[in-house]
Amino acid sequence: MIYLDNAATTAPDREAFLKAAQFSQEHYLNPSAQYGGEVSAALKEARGSILEKIADPAQFELVFTSGGTEADNQALLSCGRRNAVISAGEHAAVYEAGLQLKSAGVELRLAPIEKDGGVNEEKLLALVDDKTSLVSVVHVNNETGAVNDIFGLARRVKEKNPRCAFHSDGVQAFGKLPVRLTKDVDLYSVSAHKIGGLKGTGALIKRKSFALQPLLRGGGQEGNLRSGTENVLGILDFAYAAEKKFKTLEADAARLRVCRERLWQSLDEKFYVRFSPESGSPYILAVSARGLRGEILQRLAAERGLIVGTGSACSSKKPFSRVLEACGHQKEILNGVLRLSFSPETTEEETVLAAQTLNAVAAELGARIG
Amino acid sequence: MEKVIIIRYAEIHLKGKNRGYFERVFCVNLERAMKGLKHELHRTSGRYLVAGFDDAQTEEICGRISRVFGVHSYSVGLCVPYDLDSIYRAAQEVCPKEGSFKVATHRADKKYPMTSMELSAHIGGRLLDDFPALRVDVHDPEHTVCVDIRENGTALVFAKFEKGAGGMPVGTSGKGLLLISGGIDSPVAGYMMAKRGMNVELLHFHSYPYTNDGAKEKVKELARLLSRYSVSGKLTTLNVAHIQEEIHAKCAAELNVTLLRRFMFRLAEKVAREMNAKCLITGESLGQVASQTIEGITSSNAVVSLPVLRPLIGFDKDEIVLVAKKIGTFETSVLPYEDCCTVFLPDFPAIKPKLSFIEEEEKKLDVEALMREALASKEVFAL
Repeated sequence: MIYLDNAATTAPDREAFLKAAQFSQEHYLNPSAQYGGEVSAALKEARGSILEKIADPAQFELVFTSGGTEADNQALLSCGRRNAVISAGEHAAVYEAGLQLKSAGVELRLAPIEKDGGVNEEKLLALVDDKTSLVSVVHVNNETGAVNDIFGLARRVKEKNPRCAFHSDGVQAFGKLPVRLTKDVDLYSVSAHKIGGLKGTGALIKRKSFALQPLLRGGGQEGNLRSGTENVLGILDFAYAAEKKFKTLEADAARLRVCRERLWQSLDEKFYVRFSPESGSPYILAVSARGLRGEILQRLAAERGLIVGTGSACSSKKPFSRVLEACGHQKEILNGVLRLSFSPETTEEETVLAAQTLNAVAAELGARIG
Repeated sequence: MEKVIIIRYAEIHLKGKNRGYFERVFCVNLERAMKGLKHELHRTSGRYLVAGFDDAQTEEICGRISRVFGVHSYSVGLCVPYDLDSIYRAAQEVCPKEGSFKVATHRADKKYPMTSMELSAHIGGRLLDDFPALRVDVHDPEHTVCVDIRENGTALVFAKFEKGAGGMPVGTSGKGLLLISGGIDSPVAGYMMAKRGMNVELLHFHSYPYTNDGAKEKVKELARLLSRYSVSGKLTTLNVAHIQEEIHAKCAAELNVTLLRRFMFRLAEKVAREMNAKCLITGESLGQVASQTIEGITSSNAVVSLPVLRPLIGFDKDEIVLVAKKIGTFETSVLPYEDCCTVFLPDFPAIKPKLSFIEEEEKKLDVEALMREALASKEVFAL
């Protein structure tokens, strides 16, 4: 089987999992208990190790959550007042939390995106005023792979309104692109299972002085920002998996960029058009089989041992992806979307084989429905 | 004092010389419904008695009995020796402790020393003495405590009547084949024919790869839900994707659905004959969609010789939904899986297709070969 839906989730790293599992089995005490020192020390180490990968621990801190969705929700629901600006390319976790703000009376402003899924910076900035309490822009668009320059944007947002909070969903960037958070970014969401960690673990990284509100209240864990007994297994596994990914991050990115282009070049132009910009994340290639249906191609490809995504896994139950529709594509193109996404384990040979399969299924389906 | 369930049956008493047959089938169906649960089933005059079950499983057994067609009503009661004190203790157990009530006695054993009236008065009087919040109302009581004096020296005492599923025992009205989609209507149609005693088998058409496994799983789940009502425990499926492709490629777009339905009926008839089913059953309701007009129905009927039963033909959608909710299939039916790919749906389907036009268009297809291919895709799932 060739698995090219790594933006949906990745195979858990075996070594990281076994190490984390062994520790949590042997040290099962509650880290918050008086006697839970050893577990609490391991968590502290994991926290530091994840944080330092992308931010200065002197300026930032990290709140563990149940995943990217929770981190996004906590970020948005903490800072919605007056008006909030999000891009039309946001993941459902940000978009739906934005709608929640809207129903609570916040004016939600949607910044338009370009054909490739990247946010239109000027139009976004035009929506920011002195009443804007929050701007949220996804770092890497999870459907097209377009990379937004969130650091430049954050700086310009702060220049316009220094009191406005800036959040970015970094789920498809963390562990894949070199990231160093700047002081203009207040909040940044990350997730474990997109980089070989376990499902159900993520984190919201915050600027230390930023006043975040808890979503969950209770025992006061995570500095009172996220109550609930810590997910020791998931957190340690997250740290071990991240450690591994970051070691080869730049080499992986460079190699996958080649694989991605190779795949694209091997796809038959008769059938496929491309959404993803060349400058986008090397981990994602979004294409569309013109006039065909992505979900049917997906099933035909699966029969031949190739797993690919259609749009975003979270939105595949709706007729079209909200995000790709916002990119301004026609219905004919939107119906045929496939998302191919990679991991450092993906080989060039696999991408070539995948292209052959995709060409074959498009030809077959095209012939079948005329 | 033993807990028992008294089951009364519906229309079987209308049957003359065939009554023995209907009762035997009913009995088999009851046994099948209670399979896996400890119990004894006794036949007494005009009713059945379930005894010897675990108290904790009373609700489960009642639930299963309530779905057996032919059950008019049932009551959970107590079986006691028929001396007065035992009967009274049982009456105390089952009688609510406030409101209006009466006691009704029925004696199968006519040698019992008291008349029905005397026994009712005796038990009623003692209840009234012991529970001051009760009052007697023989005309319109809130509660009726029933005492059934049986010939074997025992009495059944109960106070509540639960309504059964009604209808006829499944298996007494032959076998039919239901064309089941993933929608709301067809499961209801199957339920209604099973209610009239028909053995209902299930056939589903899918069009993989245009439809996905989610749609098939949904139909399996519907079939499982229906099997609680003695509808067949298996599901037959056929793939009609290639038929759809051929129609799409060669025939007038507005006839897509009409032509596909004619294929479905032909295929269903073949499958029905193989399993010895005597009719087809569909969930069609007149005028509900383009293919369910009288012209659409005529065009489908024209290709089969088996009768096609359409128990919902005169139902409004909301009436169908009501039954679907009652039998527990509604929530599954509305799950969002397409049972037919929109690739093949025309923008404007023909509402009143002319038979001559349909037949003309159909000539463009190799009907026999397409049928053979679809039949070769047959899969049977045990549920």
